[in-house]
Amino acid sequence: MTAKLKVDNVSKDFTGRNGKLQALRDIRLDINEGEFLCIVGPSGCGKTTLLNIIAGLENVYKGRVVHNGEFINSTGPDRLVIFQELGLFPWLSVVKNVEFGLKMKKVPQPRRRETALKYLDMVNLLKFKDAHIHELSGGMKQRVALARAFAMDPEVLLMDEPFTALDAQTRDMLHDELQKIWQETGKTIIFVTHNVREAVCLGDKVIVMSSQPGMIKTEFRIDLPRPRHIEDGGVMDMVRPILKELSFEIKKSFEEEYDAKKDN
Amino acid sequence: MRKKIIKQVVFYLCLFGLWQLIVAMKIWPEYVFPSPIQVFGTIITGFSNSTFIVAIGISLKRIAIGYGISILIGGFLGIMMSKFKTVDETLGSLVLGLQTLPSICWLPLALLWFGLNERAIIFVVIMGALFSITTATDSGIKHVSPIYIKAGRNMGARRYTLFLEVIIPAAMPSIISGLKQGWSFAWRSLMAGELLFVNLGLGYLLTVGRELNDMSQVLAVMIIIALISILVDKIVFGKIEANIKRKWGLSAKY
Repeated sequence: MTAKLKVDNVSKDFTGRNGKLQALRDIRLDINEGEFLCIVGPSGCGKTTLLNIIAGLENVYKGRVVHNGEFINSTGPDRLVIFQELGLFPWLSVVKNVEFGLKMKKVPQPRRRETALKYLDMVNLLKFKDAHIHELSGGMKQRVALARAFAMDPEVLLMDEPFTALDAQTRDMLHDELQKIWQETGKTIIFVTHNVREAVCLGDKVIVMSSQPGMIKTEFRIDLPRPRHIEDGGVMDMVRPILKELSFEIKKSFEEEYDAKKDN
Repeated sequence: MRKKIIKQVVFYLCLFGLWQLIVAMKIWPEYVFPSPIQVFGTIITGFSNSTFIVAIGISLKRIAIGYGISILIGGFLGIMMSKFKTVDETLGSLVLGLQTLPSICWLPLALLWFGLNERAIIFVVIMGALFSITTATDSGIKHVSPIYIKAGRNMGARRYTLFLEVIIPAAMPSIISGLKQGWSFAWRSLMAGELLFVNLGLGYLLTVGRELNDMSQVLAVMIIIALISILVDKIVFGKIEANIKRKWGLSAKY
């Protein structure tokens, strides 16, 4: 397998009140086609920034990102983001939300509806196709967002802590569904989370990032059979070493925040 | 719901009863204080000899033209203000200032510019609704949650599609409330204009009633004006607002 998405020496600085802050330093990543990559790190380590750069939402940075041999400097329907806040449109019904991206692609109506219904069926929400967004539960909204993203048939799906606000049971169910859809469609997924168990449960590869500057610290390959569940013994065994790496980083970033406050 | 209707029916029956009672006590002469039956009779005659129908038609035509132009200009100005910072900083302050001016104050100016004709009164109607619609469009667009724009862009919406398919629908709740406020300002200024500048319409009927000392006509026309206000405010805008609230989940009721 060749690397489909290549993050090459990407660095990014933010200029804030306390001077320059290196959000990302020399990030190098090779992501293969159909790979499920999870990125974990303490808050403020730049994981969302990295995701935004790959999505093309963030354009000012050093280094380069190459997708299918082309440099990325804008958003494109080949790389779709599922935001933490989802951004479902309250003025549209569920099915029209799923159709939105296809409408932007100028897919004609009968086919648009057909595709949307297919993906709503995939996330088991066919019954709610005419509902409005505010009528859905948190988990159902997540599934609409998944259907909306998959309906556009992107090559890469970028997910930014999408399941953070959900209760544990709903999250477990969505882990199952996401793994199932991923296996059926064979998409490349980059999944950002701060939950190590979630990362091990979902990913082929888990990358631990350090904070300030945001760098890739360690890479773990997860060779466990699928479908995985968060309470599987194998998952738990993999979680421990990653958690150890991460807790060191979390402690470090706490201390840095503490110092920063003391300086003021 | 049914209880509410029963309460209202009882309330209005009592009100009319009280009115009739006061008339029966003959405290004031009938030409100062006519009975509800007399007023009702005037409404029937007014409609059957079509003076009321013509007046309603003329007033509605004026407001339709004036309000329609207001929506076009107000929408355009609002969009410009939300898009261009310079327009916002310059025109925006002027709009805010002019909004505080009761629109009937434009009538003398309109009369001098356009003369005693239809254009003067439509101008006043336009000025009545214009600034509410402008500000509501502007602030509605400015306060669209960035996540909708990010999501829309991400799914391939660009410039015009982003504007038409994401920004405008997202700003709709604010725009609708601006349209509603604009309507009520426009309607009020039309009535004031027709009263002052006598040339047909419902306001004119009120003035005629006063001049002929016909209290019954004055009350009848007032009732009709109020009914039209209620019809548009509660039924037309009420429906649109309820629909938006239902879609967005902005209210537990409805």
